[in-house]
Amino acid sequence: MNTRAPMIEFQDVHKYYGEYHALRGITATIRAGEFFSLLGPSGCGKTTLLRTIAGFEGISSGAVLIDGKSMENVPANKRPTNMVFQSYAIFPHLTVAQNVGFGLRRDARSKAEKDKLVEEALEMVGLKGYGPRAAHAMSGGQRQRVALARALILKPKVLLLDEPLSALDKKIREQMQVELIKLQREVGITFVLVTHDQEEALVMSDRIAVMFEGEIAQLADPETLYRRPNSRRVADFIGVMNFLPASVTGEANGHIQVEAAGLGAFEIEAAQASAAPAGGQASIGFRPETLTILYEGQTPLDRETPGTIEEVVYYGDMTYYDVKLDGVDVPVRISMRNVFGRPVLDIGTRTRVAWSPGALVLFR
Amino acid sequence: MKLPSLRIYAFAYLAFLYAPILLLPIFAFNDGTIIAFPLKGFTLDWFSQMFANDTLGRAVRNSMIIAGSTAVLATAFGIFAARAGTRFSFPGKGPIMGLIMLPLVLPEIMIGGSLLLVLLAIGIELSILTVILGHVLIATPYTIAILNTAFASLDRSLEEAAYDLGEGKLSTFRLITLPLVLPGIISSMLIAFTISLDEFIIAFFLAGNEPTLPTYIFSQLRFPKQIPMIMALGTCLVLLSIILLTIAEYVRRRGLKKTGAKDTGGFL
Repeated sequence: MNTRAPMIEFQDVHKYYGEYHALRGITATIRAGEFFSLLGPSGCGKTTLLRTIAGFEGISSGAVLIDGKSMENVPANKRPTNMVFQSYAIFPHLTVAQNVGFGLRRDARSKAEKDKLVEEALEMVGLKGYGPRAAHAMSGGQRQRVALARALILKPKVLLLDEPLSALDKKIREQMQVELIKLQREVGITFVLVTHDQEEALVMSDRIAVMFEGEIAQLADPETLYRRPNSRRVADFIGVMNFLPASVTGEANGHIQVEAAGLGAFEIEAAQASAAPAGGQASIGFRPETLTILYEGQTPLDRETPGTIEEVVYYGDMTYYDVKLDGVDVPVRISMRNVFGRPVLDIGTRTRVAWSPGALVLFR
Repeated sequence: MKLPSLRIYAFAYLAFLYAPILLLPIFAFNDGTIIAFPLKGFTLDWFSQMFANDTLGRAVRNSMIIAGSTAVLATAFGIFAARAGTRFSFPGKGPIMGLIMLPLVLPEIMIGGSLLLVLLAIGIELSILTVILGHVLIATPYTIAILNTAFASLDRSLEEAAYDLGEGKLSTFRLITLPLVLPGIISSMLIAFTISLDEFIIAFFLAGNEPTLPTYIFSQLRFPKQIPMIMALGTCLVLLSIILLTIAEYVRRRGLKKTGAKDTGGFL
């Protein structure tokens, strides 16, 4: 995937709304054929950045390139991009087919050819035969599909999706996530998705840019982002991460010696340290599933630390335990799969927690 | 409606509103020049007298031209203002919008008087054109109020979507914006038409020698023998109002049905 050509390039993009600095020097490349997500809390500038690709927002300085061409002075209706809006923006006074075929209005092709394209587009999103229906009578999930078909019928180089799933309920949302991934693979078009839902971004994307306050905090594939967040803030935003205060005691030959509360002294690889300096007290972070509660007779693969169970949250397939490691005030969260034969433990149980320095991230 | 006193109040209220209007058709068909009971007999004389009256015909024609022009012009201005007010922010927006809406509360007699002074001062001859000018001024705030609602309920991303799909600004307006705000535009035109049709003060000041319906009716009220004909005229006007209102409501409901929007109340 690394060999793919760049499709969208942001070159030091700044955007001001009056005094407000909405985009603070965005430099990034989105590759051709990639499912790319802009992830961040509301107000982080992700939607603004998406709209600079579409051409709905101008930029104050820098450059946006699509397929190698500068988009300066190219209006939205002349850009090789199409958008799926958060509200879907289905034209309520038109039929489904008229909505989907809207972008073909200026096309020179015959009506029969256009009708065929519309029917194909509807089939692609699973709405075959829905063409003559009134668009406003469609359900939320169906509108979403109409919006997708309408945007894809023009075969854009880039499809922009502005929180397209946020208005759907959980079941349909999860179903649509899978369908969107499949669709993207099928059409091979570059998808750029804006979302505030980290799970959605992890599930769907080839790569994700995490944004805070108009800046990209980290741009990486989902696994790197999850396993090796480059700052406490990114780590906090994506999934659950436990933090324990730590101090660096030595550093040599690509290894770092660390001493952390509750875990004692150990050594990690330099790659496990976050690039962005956290400032002040260093800390180590680890995901709930990288710790394991040891049952009677089990031995750890690497190291173990004693603790006491403070809280038990039962999820059916999983149980979350808050465990206070000996010598630490704040409990850490540990997730355990409820496999057959493994009882759910009670609050107050003394336990041993297995862990491995290789799964840790150092923030300093 | 559990309390009988409330029920009585409601009926009394409606009677007070509509009983005088009900008298119009009764005396329009009454064969007698005096407006008093008992009724004398049925006649269509007053209607034929009305249709034969040339001055009245001219007044009706003038009023239709004035009201029609006012409806179109005030609505056109209303579209610009409502569009600007709901979509864009610009320096001085608050005061500008306030000034546009001000004629809503200014006494018409002051508007009419000052317009007359200005028109005379710059030497414009009084005609139905000057009445249209005055009526557009007072009707525009109403059209803006109606069109604001229509434009405000229009999702901005609909226009962006059309633009994104390759349409220009103008064709987006024609294909998306206009059809969706059309019910609002029609209501606005009907309201402006109605306001202009029965406006008296400005027409009285600015019409010069040209009669309009209200100024003609006013002038005829001095002559008792003309009153039954005025009753006939009133009957026609009430009928016209009901027809206009019905059309407006029909258009509104059809628009709602077509776009699936929620009915948030209308005229009827």
